[in-house]
Amino acid sequence: MYGNLSIAEPVRGVEQEDPEKLAEFEERIARGEKIEPHDWMPREYRRQVLRMIEQHAHSEIIGALPEGTWITRAPGFRRKLALMAKVQDEVGHAQLLYSAAETLGKPREQMINDLLSGKAKYSNVFNYPALTWADTAIIAWLIDAGAIINQTLNAKGSYGPYARALERICKEEAFHLKYGYDNVVTLASGTPRQRQMLQEALNRWWKPIMHFFGPPDHMSVHSEKLLRWKVKMASNDEMRQMFLDAYVPKIWELGLTIPDPNLRKNPETGRWEYSDPDWDEFWRVINGNGPCNRERLAVRRMADELGAWVRRALLKPDHRYVEPLF
Amino acid sequence: MEAPVQATIRSLDPRVTRLSIPQELPEFTPKPPLDEWQTYEVFHQARPGEQPVHVGTVHAPDPEMALVFAKEQYARRGTTYSLWVVRTADIYAFRSEDADIFATVPEKTYREPHDYKVAQKLLRLKRKSHGSSAADAPASS
Amino acid sequence: MPLPPPEALPALKDLLYRMADDALIIGHRHSEWTGLGPILEEDIAFSSIAQDKLGHAYALYQLLHELGEPEPDHAAFLRDAPQFRCCHLVEYPNGGYDFSLMRHLLFDLAEQWRYHLLERSSYEPLAQLARKVRGEIKYHVFHATQWVVHLGAQGTEESHERMQQALLQALPLALGIFEPSDFEEILVDYGIFPGERVLQSHWWETLLPILERAQLRVPPLETLTPAYGGRRGQHTEYLQPLLDEMTEVFRSDPTAQW
Repeated sequence: MYGNLSIAEPVRGVEQEDPEKLAEFEERIARGEKIEPHDWMPREYRRQVLRMIEQHAHSEIIGALPEGTWITRAPGFRRKLALMAKVQDEVGHAQLLYSAAETLGKPREQMINDLLSGKAKYSNVFNYPALTWADTAIIAWLIDAGAIINQTLNAKGSYGPYARALERICKEEAFHLKYGYDNVVTLASGTPRQRQMLQEALNRWWKPIMHFFGPPDHMSVHSEKLLRWKVKMASNDEMRQMFLDAYVPKIWELGLTIPDPNLRKNPETGRWEYSDPDWDEFWRVINGNGPCNRERLAVRRMADELGAWVRRALLKPDHRYVEPLF
Repeated sequence: MEAPVQATIRSLDPRVTRLSIPQELPEFTPKPPLDEWQTYEVFHQARPGEQPVHVGTVHAPDPEMALVFAKEQYARRGTTYSLWVVRTADIYAFRSEDADIFATVPEKTYREPHDYKVAQKLLRLKRKSHGSSAADAPASS
Repeated sequence: MPLPPPEALPALKDLLYRMADDALIIGHRHSEWTGLGPILEEDIAFSSIAQDKLGHAYALYQLLHELGEPEPDHAAFLRDAPQFRCCHLVEYPNGGYDFSLMRHLLFDLAEQWRYHLLERSSYEPLAQLARKVRGEIKYHVFHATQWVVHLGAQGTEESHERMQQALLQALPLALGIFEPSDFEEILVDYGIFPGERVLQSHWWETLLPILERAQLRVPPLETLTPAYGGRRGQHTEYLQPLLDEMTEVFRSDPTAQW
């Protein structure tokens, strides 16, 4: 559902690389070539790509929880089936992404360990609760819309296995977006109570949505190198603008109110202006103090523990771990 | 005396509430190596007559389970005619630093169809045998 | 739509409600694992099976709707426990993955036989459905068998013991699938369905070799007390809470579009 180096880490140690190999590597990327797992790559490229794919994978598996909140209560067959399929897809995306990350030399246990120990980060947006059925509609429409913007860009990135995984993921996200939109439009055209439920959900989710693409560029670590290496494909602000361009008109069209009186497109600059979405809160949540951080982690740990006997039972002494090829 | 009942997480998700997860996170014990099993590479053939293609990997304890898992991860949408799995460890590949062995010297055009200008030769032959006199095709190839 | 003879209609409806309610409730139970399964790949696989079950339930409620019953959403979301005809096996909470898998095997093996017998039903719409779901159910049985045999015979002592306990718990419940019905004779006479007794004997014969491969001890059939009642609307304490939860949003306004 989401993958973004929204908080870039400074690129370091590149000066220690073999300059000839580094130049050749950068030329390949400039030519639009993909980098495959066993190709030579700067250590820093490996570290940054791995970190990004891992974060994305963690976000998918944690992302299955807020919407999973309503899986036993979805109203009617169509919604019940679609929500099950959507949450299933999120788990499937996690599987694909962990596989892509594994090609960089980190076994899946270790990645899951980092998630369960609380060391690894995942998208902030999943640390907010899905209070009502309408929240699942807003998540499926707008969070997935944000994810598609991000992932469509990243699918053109330089690391082959990640790009391939994203291509597959984007096709499935198209279903999520359409399902979410259908769900939102249904509630918007429904009873006054349904409309109110939807508006309240939008009010709750607007801030996390604004946070979704990460802190503004002027607050972020410079990532020219990551852009040149096609690890990051657009800046946080650029992606946020793309999202606002595409979705604000669609939200207004439904007669919904966006809870930001300052939101408007500046006709001169062509850029959206908006109130400060409280970046302090963003940092609080990413550092573990959001409304659901503790629960999300506890649930993942519990799920892992409940399945431990199953995994243990079928672990054979002759098993040999090899990095996936591709 | 009864042991004090530990408070459990009450969630918006009734499934989570039912899991009775303690409020206080216990000390974290890392998963042992291979807790997620080994990997299998998955090949998918959409229709008879089409080429099977590599689509990704699954973690599984053995080939039978790998097939079960591959079916739902890689074939739950679209059409599928067959699926294969093979243990990643059983795949042999050239190393990427040996990629230069695949470089073909461009002069080996005799392997390519475009190197054979049969049509022009045929035209010349026809003109010759029909006694065409006006303009012979230029001998270009 | 071909209508069955009027005297066979209540029997046919009873059969369809049993099947539809079973599929709905077990699909719902299976779906509770989504996102919480023992390993990512299995999480995905089990969710597909849950979705298939709901799909079968929908198709069966649709057949009932064509016979004058409420539309599928109303049949599934607006009835209360006493009106349900599912067996107790599907109502039980998931428990651990051991019970879930064992229930899955016992249930799906019966489903496979039931649909197989129904392929020749005189009620053509049901026969058609039976032919349509054949492949899906074959896969469900394959999935369940793989797991039960793996954990029973190829796992650890712990996994073997867990599967053994799960079998002992689930077996009497599974026998409730075949609770005799007052309509049995009519169903047989009209060629709609050969009856629960026939189904049970097929099921038992195919189940034994699988459990043997799983190295599980099977108690003699005559020592087991089948959990009957579900087919007559007498349910476990688990069904009504499940329904309350499942229908919470839908019932908040059943006239609304969701």
